[in-house]
Amino acid sequence: MLAYYMVLALRSLQRTPILSALMVAAIAVGVGAAMTTLTLNYMMSRNALAHKDDVLYAVQLDSWGPDESAEGPYQMPDQLSYRDAKALLRSDIPQRQVAMHRWGATLTRENSEQSPLQAEIRVSTRDFFPLFDIPFLYGNRWEQSADESPARQVVLSQAMNERLFNGDNSVGQPVNLNGEVFTVIGVLKHWNPSPKVYDLINGAFKDSEALYIPFGLHHQLQIYTWGNYDAWWNEIPKNYQDFLNSHLVWTQYWVELKDAEQKKAYEHFLTAYIKQQKAEGLYPRPLKFRLSRPSEWLRVNEVLADDDRMLGWLALAFLLVCVINATALLLVKFLRKAPEMGIRRALGASRNAVFSQHLIESGCIGLLGGIGGILLAIVGLARLRQLQMGSLDQIASMDWVMMSAAIVLALIASILAGLYPAWRISHSSSSAYLKTQ
Amino acid sequence: MLKMHKVRKSFRTDTIETHALRDFNLEVKEGEFIAVTGPSGSGKTTFLNIAGLLEAHSGGQYLLDGDDVSGLNDRQRSRLRNEKIGFIFQGFNLIPDLNLFDNIDVPLRYRGFKASERRRRIDKVLQQVGLAARAKYLPSQLSGGQQQRIAIARALAGEPRFLLADEPTGNLDSLMARQVMELLELVNDWGTTIVMVTHDPDLARRAERNIQIVDGQVADLEYHANPAALSA
Ligand SMILES: Nc1ncnc2c1ncn2[C@@H]1O[C@H](COP(=O)(O)OP(=O)(O)O)[C@@H](O)[C@H]1O
Ligand SMILES: [Mg+2]
Repeated sequence: MLAYYMVLALRSLQRTPILSALMVAAIAVGVGAAMTTLTLNYMMSRNALAHKDDVLYAVQLDSWGPDESAEGPYQMPDQLSYRDAKALLRSDIPQRQVAMHRWGATLTRENSEQSPLQAEIRVSTRDFFPLFDIPFLYGNRWEQSADESPARQVVLSQAMNERLFNGDNSVGQPVNLNGEVFTVIGVLKHWNPSPKVYDLINGAFKDSEALYIPFGLHHQLQIYTWGNYDAWWNEIPKNYQDFLNSHLVWTQYWVELKDAEQKKAYEHFLTAYIKQQKAEGLYPRPLKFRLSRPSEWLRVNEVLADDDRMLGWLALAFLLVCVINATALLLVKFLRKAPEMGIRRALGASRNAVFSQHLIESGCIGLLGGIGGILLAIVGLARLRQLQMGSLDQIASMDWVMMSAAIVLALIASILAGLYPAWRISHSSSSAYLKTQ
Repeated sequence: MLKMHKVRKSFRTDTIETHALRDFNLEVKEGEFIAVTGPSGSGKTTFLNIAGLLEAHSGGQYLLDGDDVSGLNDRQRSRLRNEKIGFIFQGFNLIPDLNLFDNIDVPLRYRGFKASERRRRIDKVLQQVGLAARAKYLPSQLSGGQQQRIAIARALAGEPRFLLADEPTGNLDSLMARQVMELLELVNDWGTTIVMVTHDPDLARRAERNIQIVDGQVADLEYHANPAALSA
């Protein structure tokens, strides 16, 4: 029967092309608008570290001043001072741990005509790669010693390796950063989580960095951060060493703790560390720290803002308006077919059969509307990408999950729209239409 | 086949209540050909609709093949209608955008027959009404008499035992009306019980039995002889 009803539905749509087009358009516009915003919301609420959500933690310590709390999540600074980060790195409790920050430099290739370019760089300890599960295309990460003492080694992103070396294995090749020669020791496979869960503080939708260099280079290269930094009192460092020892927070810190026991041990360690700092007259606030899983970190940093959520609801409300419009059109269309239904009833169709036939016709309209909606959403997202220049590139696109969601949404919308008209026609008096003409 | 005892039917609109049938008594035997006459608005169509399970009666008893139908739900009524009853209307009531083949296919679809069985039956009834060559035509491409023959073919395709015809010749000229009547007589000869409403006394006379409905009731045939009583 389903196939029969589908054939009847398509014939019926063909018979009233304008009315059908209007209904399909109503569903398509509603679904298009809904899917544009829902896709943004969905992409913004993705968690690239979901598979390690139960072992990874962003570390926050309340190193802030006595007078007022910091503005970060949980009223704590969202980064650590370099000094604290160096101290935490001495713990051997975590499976892995990473201290890191954003940096940038002028990059040139040795003995090359290529013009210099400004490169985004991450300065990090070596656990960065395994902790965040970043795959290597060529070579490997640096040795443990490079986290402590300077080693001019660099890991390239796949995109940068393509740009500099046409994608060849560049391990062992020299590149020049701010005039210093570095040796390529590894090339990453494509890896660009969005939102950029490991660094939400410097732009949640920025691309991942093009180069990665060891954490042991600070003293030698006098590396300052290119990311956000903050302090609870106006401290102006007199020299580079002073900067490293200051209260300024600019280092991001993540740990990997394999189970509850390890987590407990690490919490003991952090408690002890803060107590020791207090003993030295630092950490004036009540003892407080926080370990946040990636999902929690995304939430407390409000990657998906309340405004975005609101926009999602508004788009759904707009879809509802479109559904109501489609209902009115369907009512017109179905009641026009009342005489035919009278005949079908006389020939043995039950009310249920008539109801199903019309609900399936609504569903066919929904299917067409869903396809139209996907096209509109793709156009809408493309427009958004143009407006936002770059930072939305990754999120303003539809994956197959969202495409299927669009179809499902359109089907639900059209069936909702069709319920009342289908009920009306299946419960209208059939004999009334069978009167002589 | 059909037995109605004190069947009532009333229609209620906002302001008035119409009693279309009151204390309606009738028995139809298997294989009969009955012609129903009566003034317009007397309840003939209402009777056919109730007999054909298209409408429910408001009171009294209706037995179809010995079974009381008043307790049946819409699904069961539709199933009985589909299997046992064929309808023919004055206005032909073919579905305009289905070709003749697909029109005849409609009741067979609801019956749940396989495609091959449907095709076999459609071909058969198209032969019987002499329009096999026009299977792909649309109803609008046929004359009135041809359309009514297709409507009869559609009613026959499910091999119903009970055919209800509401002024089947009302829209046809006398030649075509005679052809349709001959077809119905043939169908009756095959054993199908027929109840036909008609205004045409010549056609009515050809039926085995005549009944008259006046004011929602079966009138006595003696009554019929006295036209003065009719208008009273
Ligand atoms: N669906 C309906 N709603 C209200 N009144 C109706 C309806 N169908 C029939 N009637 C009334 O019932 C009476 C009988 O109608 P009907 O059976 O169509 O008569 P006939 O077929 O003999 O001309 C008429 O008075 C008619 O107005
Ligand atoms: Mg009538």
